[in-house]
Amino acid sequence: MVENNRRKFLKVVSHSLGGVLAAGIAAPLVGLGIHPWLKETVYGTEEFINLGKLEDFPVGIPKKMNVTSSKMDAWNVFEGLVMGSVWVLRKEDDSLKVFSVNCPHLGCGINWGEDEKQFLCPCHEGVFDINGKVLSGPAPRSLYSYETKIENDNVLVNYKKLI
Amino acid sequence: MANKLGEWIEDRTGLSKLLKAALDEPVHGGAKWSYIFGSGLVFLFVLQAVTGIFMASYYSPSSTAAWGSVYYLQYKTSFGWFVRGVHHYGSSAMMIVAMVHMFQVFIFGAYKKPRELNWISGVILLLFLAGFGLTGYLLPWDQKGYWATQVATNIMGTVPVIGKYIKILHLGGADYGNFTITRFYTLHVFLLPISLVFFLFIHIALFRKHGVTPYWKMREEVLRDRIDPFWPDQIFKDIVFALGMYAVIAGVVFWTRGAELQSPADPASNYLARPEWYFLFLFELLKYCQGKYLIVGTVIIPALALIFLFVLPFIDRNTSRYPSKRIPYFGAVFSGLTGAVVLTVLAMHHDSKDIHIIHQREEAEKQAARAVKLAEKGIPPTGGLSIFLHDPIALGEKIFKESCIGCHKVGAEGGDNGPDFTNFGSREWIAGLLKNPKDAKYFKETGAMPPIKLPDESLMDMAEFLLSQSAGLIHQNAERVERGKELVLKGNCVVCHPIGNKDLKKIAPNLTEYLSETWLKEFIRNPGDPKFYGTRNKMPAFDKLTGNQLDALIQYIISLSKDRTLVSEKQEKGKRGYVFGLTSPRTMITFQDKS
Repeated sequence: MVENNRRKFLKVVSHSLGGVLAAGIAAPLVGLGIHPWLKETVYGTEEFINLGKLEDFPVGIPKKMNVTSSKMDAWNVFEGLVMGSVWVLRKEDDSLKVFSVNCPHLGCGINWGEDEKQFLCPCHEGVFDINGKVLSGPAPRSLYSYETKIENDNVLVNYKKLI
Repeated sequence: MANKLGEWIEDRTGLSKLLKAALDEPVHGGAKWSYIFGSGLVFLFVLQAVTGIFMASYYSPSSTAAWGSVYYLQYKTSFGWFVRGVHHYGSSAMMIVAMVHMFQVFIFGAYKKPRELNWISGVILLLFLAGFGLTGYLLPWDQKGYWATQVATNIMGTVPVIGKYIKILHLGGADYGNFTITRFYTLHVFLLPISLVFFLFIHIALFRKHGVTPYWKMREEVLRDRIDPFWPDQIFKDIVFALGMYAVIAGVVFWTRGAELQSPADPASNYLARPEWYFLFLFELLKYCQGKYLIVGTVIIPALALIFLFVLPFIDRNTSRYPSKRIPYFGAVFSGLTGAVVLTVLAMHHDSKDIHIIHQREEAEKQAARAVKLAEKGIPPTGGLSIFLHDPIALGEKIFKESCIGCHKVGAEGGDNGPDFTNFGSREWIAGLLKNPKDAKYFKETGAMPPIKLPDESLMDMAEFLLSQSAGLIHQNAERVERGKELVLKGNCVVCHPIGNKDLKKIAPNLTEYLSETWLKEFIRNPGDPKFYGTRNKMPAFDKLTGNQLDALIQYIISLSKDRTLVSEKQEKGKRGYVFGLTSPRTMITFQDKS
């Protein structure tokens, strides 16, 4: 009887100590495992990316530009990586509109039709005017664009956020 | 409901029967604290396995990525430093407990018939353990691991006839490279663990077959009559031991602030390699086996020791387990152990006295800290070492060695026409200058300034004030600054030195923003300027340096002081501190100051 009680007690203590041990080992491992939830691991390092001088963009004609930035990938930094491209439209008052090259319908790459003076999507014949508004086709909204600003005559675009 | 589910599973799997069979093993002679080491090793192996698996999810085995990935794990993740620390010290713990286990088995005579194969499988497991230590050491691809492993693979190469081929097979080529790391990785995380588990299974199965080997004096009837169940009697003791070991390992990890990560492996450096402590005796042995006798230390002695271990159960056939009946074997085993301990102690003793090793350790620490700082901005895809390519401090050091070291000593190296630059611009350096400018370390007999006859504490106060004028003084003490200010401004200093206005000239150097980046720049360009040494100047002007070179030189000079950081690298408007777990305590993190 005494022996049985002793063993019962040992079982309870063993379970508790084992639980403490397992928790002590598991806690830091879980903390390490969920790291990508806590911290961005892959990202472009610049918020606003330079696309070139303002005078390089003709007034009223959209120009396609590569977006080049440096990218952090965990421990690595990649300099001068082409992240993608954008359509840049310089208006007469020197204000800018920077459009995503992807059609808001299914993401195909859109082209500027010089003759039509319209953006054309080759996939499902989506058509957009020079300000990105849908003229015809299946697209549910106008072209996506990016926040942009001009600093010291440089055209800068925030490539991280679509609007 | 839960019961039903339990029954359903039991019905299909027989799980609880299996568990019962595993746990209900009778322990003849009773559960004992002396039996905890074997299960302690199983626990440590599981601990190594789980920490290893989590680390593997951050590790990248290539010569260009390995260091960076370990750096990221150590400094950028939450708890990565802790998990890596547990894995690192866990390996040492395994080695220690394995040794204790082996010697206990030896002393208890547990290798004797019918347990010969228990012993042999145990020796094989010990070899695997050494293999884990050896292969794991290289994986971070830092200076220490890279160079220590070079020694080990070169030893492999000294094996007659086949050595060369074994070496190429392990290295994956003629020299260290990507294949060396992929091979060591494969060995460390696949081949060795699989082999170890296989032999561990055999080892435990044999143990279960033959049961424990109790203390040799235990009487037959106790062994027969006293039977404890493995669960919970023995397991309770095992768990207490496991918990104790984990607490010690975690304590050591905190105390040492995790495992070290040195700067990226540099094949061009002449690093003095030292293996992990449990291989030191072999390393020391080689010092006594040189030239044509090298093979004695690298192959013959280790092979003889291993052969002895393997055949021990077959040569010691006496059935008595009493130590007094096994004196020759005790003599052999303990002289081997004493030899290994003496060699280890000798190796440690030599290294603690060797000025080159001490100097190198300090250098390695500084270099590692620098590497971590540079890696912060990201590591180029060309590899860990390339972080140094554009490091201004490395460039500055080069310029210093070309232009300044002829007159200014740093450490043991350099001329002594000008002041010694070891720890230049630190509180201690300045206080020393104030105390005796004519000292051999400073201006010698050419020093025109009289020594300041104040207690050392006051001199430190003055140094604190002088340095506080430029940003970047670490742990600035406001009270000291105030006291120092009082001493400098109200004492005799200002008779000769202008202070407070950059452009004032007197007979001695202007001390406004003394030793700041701008002050140093202007000084190096023209030390003979009337606002510095004027006509007393003896140093050539270095006005041919480009802006970049001068910047780099200044950064290097400031890095010589342990009390100062570069303003350009100091995070502004931030509080620095350390949050448990979130980052390695080897680095401080910067919090955004909301105010």
